[in-house]
Amino acid sequence: MPSNKPSAKNRTRAVEARFKVGDRVRVKDLPNLFYSRTQMYVRGAVGTIAALTYQDVLPEDEAFNRDGRLEQYYIVRFRQKDLWPEYPFENDSLQTESPERWLEPVDS
Amino acid sequence: MSHTHSPGDGGGDHPAAPMVEEITDFEVLEIAVRELAIEHGLFTAEDHRRFTEWAESIGPAAGSRLVAKAWTDPAFKKRLLEDAVKACKEIGIDWAEPTGFGTPSDYMNLRVLEDTPTLHHVIVCTLCSCYPRPLLGMSPEWYRTTNYRRRLVRWPRQVLAEFGLILPPEVEIRVEDSNQKCRFMVLPMRPEGTENWTEEQLAAIVTRDCMIGVALPRPGRTADVHPVQKARRPVQRS
Ligand SMILES: [Fe+2]
Repeated sequence: MPSNKPSAKNRTRAVEARFKVGDRVRVKDLPNLFYSRTQMYVRGAVGTIAALTYQDVLPEDEAFNRDGRLEQYYIVRFRQKDLWPEYPFENDSLQTESPERWLEPVDS
Repeated sequence: MSHTHSPGDGGGDHPAAPMVEEITDFEVLEIAVRELAIEHGLFTAEDHRRFTEWAESIGPAAGSRLVAKAWTDPAFKKRLLEDAVKACKEIGIDWAEPTGFGTPSDYMNLRVLEDTPTLHHVIVCTLCSCYPRPLLGMSPEWYRTTNYRRRLVRWPRQVLAEFGLILPPEVEIRVEDSNQKCRFMVLPMRPEGTENWTEEQLAAIVTRDCMIGVALPRPGRTADVHPVQKARRPVQRS
């Protein structure tokens, strides 16, 4: 039975953020069987941390009313050219939000 | 293509007729869950009706006021960019209403994206239709279409051009895909020709489309008009 216990909104900050603004990160291409909010089009792409947003449970847990643990969420900025190989405009960008679990550091 | 319908032939055996919209699985699910909740006394049908009517009545006026205030009050703009949910309270919008933690799917995270002469923002939710409803009300129908959601991330300049917004390549277009719990609103640049305008005058040109990022405010433009393009070869009815 799903429980009605207080959600993550009432909890205190529980985790240290692994990344800071400006860090280069790659979006992992994790398998997901049931639910995810990590879009296919950013999987494997390298971007830059643009902001730290909040801490919350993962959508993959929350979708099934599992509390899971809190994770830091980030806004990640990508160059459009890095998402779509034939994208013709040099400067254009795209931002999307991601929980920490989906991101890995990129050296240099 | 195996189909060789010519315009107006009605597709062979099937006479041309308006398409009847079918109810989606999600609508069926919503009705089922709603009826169960009412049956179990979580809320009443009357509560549901009032909440729905309230949610549908919000409209984008608060967003327009927010932008107009940011244009005329630099200190407010600073507060808005730092903590938008908090700044909303200054114009009487409380994101916590009426549930205490944000209306479902609106949450309590709002970020205002400031346009500059070299940066233009535009908002989409590729996964569904996330939208800053406490400020802008219900999203327009086109915002929820798969057409807009798919194409904006891949071909933003072409989609904006379809809205009549053509920006030079030097201006960076930044697509914001609001795929998690942050909601976004664009703070467009104050257009020329609005010097000495009151907040009220300014708010009138900040339309919904300007806050999504598919249009730019300018004097005289006070409504989002999407002209209906007539078909060049319309279906002939017999
Ligand atoms: Fe959404």
